[in-house]
Amino acid sequence: MAHAIWSGAINFGLVTIPVKLFTAVKSDDLSFNLLHAKDEGRIKYERICSVDGKPVPWDEIVKGYEFEKGEYVVLTDEDFKAVNPEATQSVDIVEFVELDKINPMFFDKPYYLEPTKQGRHAYALLREALATTNRVAIARVVIRTKEYLAAVKPSEDALVLELMHWANEIVEAGTLELPGREKLPEQEMKMARMLIDTMSVDEFEPEKFKNNYYDQVMTMIEARAAGKELPKPKKAPARAKVVNLMDVLAQSLEESKKRRGAEKSASTRRRKTTAA
Amino acid sequence: MAPPRVTRRVGSRELSLSNLDKVLWPKDGFTKGDLIDYYERVAQYALPHLKGRPLTLQRYPNGIGGETFFEKQIPRGIPDWVERVTVPTPSGLRSQITFVLCNDLPTLVLLANLAAIVLHVWTSRAPALEEPDFVIFDLDPGEKCTLRTLAEVTLGVRDLLGEVGLKPLVKTTGGYGVHVVLPLRSGYSYDTAKVFAEIVARQAAQRLGESVTLQRTVAKRPQAAVYLDYVQVGLGKTIVAPYSVRARDGAPVSTPLHWSEVEALARRRAPTAPADEFAKMNIRTAPKRFEREGDLWGGALWKKQRLEGALAKAQRLWSEPG
Repeated sequence: MAHAIWSGAINFGLVTIPVKLFTAVKSDDLSFNLLHAKDEGRIKYERICSVDGKPVPWDEIVKGYEFEKGEYVVLTDEDFKAVNPEATQSVDIVEFVELDKINPMFFDKPYYLEPTKQGRHAYALLREALATTNRVAIARVVIRTKEYLAAVKPSEDALVLELMHWANEIVEAGTLELPGREKLPEQEMKMARMLIDTMSVDEFEPEKFKNNYYDQVMTMIEARAAGKELPKPKKAPARAKVVNLMDVLAQSLEESKKRRGAEKSASTRRRKTTAA
Repeated sequence: MAPPRVTRRVGSRELSLSNLDKVLWPKDGFTKGDLIDYYERVAQYALPHLKGRPLTLQRYPNGIGGETFFEKQIPRGIPDWVERVTVPTPSGLRSQITFVLCNDLPTLVLLANLAAIVLHVWTSRAPALEEPDFVIFDLDPGEKCTLRTLAEVTLGVRDLLGEVGLKPLVKTTGGYGVHVVLPLRSGYSYDTAKVFAEIVARQAAQRLGESVTLQRTVAKRPQAAVYLDYVQVGLGKTIVAPYSVRARDGAPVSTPLHWSEVEALARRRAPTAPADEFAKMNIRTAPKRFEREGDLWGGALWKKQRLEGALAKAQRLWSEPG
């Protein structure tokens, strides 16, 4: 497994379990680069300062909160730490709850927890206790400067830290037009249940499900890459068009200036407003 | 049932208004009387933007489901006191067209009485008809473009203009899209404005990548992108005036926005369609907003700007090799 993305400790009661955090899911979203269709030049994004109009390097970028239109309070990493002195690296367990009591919508992203040497025993205790009571731990987690809500769950030999949404991040379904729970005809319900029964399986086997789109696109890409030399991005005269237009604009402005000069001497407004 | 014809005093004129009960928006039940009431109520905000601009009327004599026609030539029977401007049209069917100028409240009410729901205006004013007084960027979202993408692109265009020292204004079209408008100092030609608009549009397309398209053929546009139309600049081209009503269900209204409102839309997580959001401002709800906010395009906010300095900045910022 890759290296830990974070190391800290699980705290509950007087017990501290030193742990490391590892990625548990990787997304196989296809990632593409954006290219200019005409010449396959890479599309660049620049962070431009709205005051001097120049690109800004990351080390000159700070976070600002707009408290009034155009008025900012600038906050640094130190400031964020200062407001939350507890914000070190910790998983503070607040309470335990049965897994079924949590709406799965709250779960966002899972990570593996691995104990360091001195934490192995306590780690195993927590994992087994959770598994046998069918509970999960609800914890406040601080990773770098941010606080998260999370659940600690047993998953086979591992404890999994699953980041959760805060309650205010969940959108209410109340605004949707949903049918109420009025009585449905027994006959139709029977049919629906039968259909579910016939399509039911004992275990969920995610391996059965293939991401066809991903496979097909990858096959296509591999074929293309094998079939022909990967096209080299042509060195683009990318901004040539704009530059030329700017020359045209400069000339046009010059002409309007001359014309205005002429207009002052001889009134040449051709169109007239007439009250018929 | 109101009598078919009533006489009403509007400003300094006695107007004869007809069929006020005629339903123009069948789904909503809004009538011609509602349309007249709306334009009368918002006239103080709408008129400064109509004044002196040749007007193309889009009329719906039988409501928005019925036949519609664009009328450039001033309609017959319009009283003599209504102001107008005659423009030669070298290429048209007629050798000249006389346009209505909606310079006062009675004219505005009279036009509403003709079921001229949508008011399309030139981007220049008489007598200086060859000098646009603003540059218009028409942002038209594709079918699958979300409100958020539209708002992000709108902000992108604003930020580009900001980079070269220019401050644009923004409004909804009342339909699906957004108009970004840059007021100009007098004396610029349409040719100048056109080239400037094209420079900004190309820079926007380069900067904002896939969320913007400059493709004029509808079928070739990516559906999730915003079509940035910079070719609405030209002698005789029109845009829907601010505060104009649209001939769509719900009777939405072209509404000037605060930039902070566009910023708020850019933070929306739900994939709302732009038209759904913009339809909330309609002939019933919008007047209250306008009375609360005042004319967001009016007075000092309509800051007439120079292009010379902007060009100098653009040459420095936008032309170094990528």
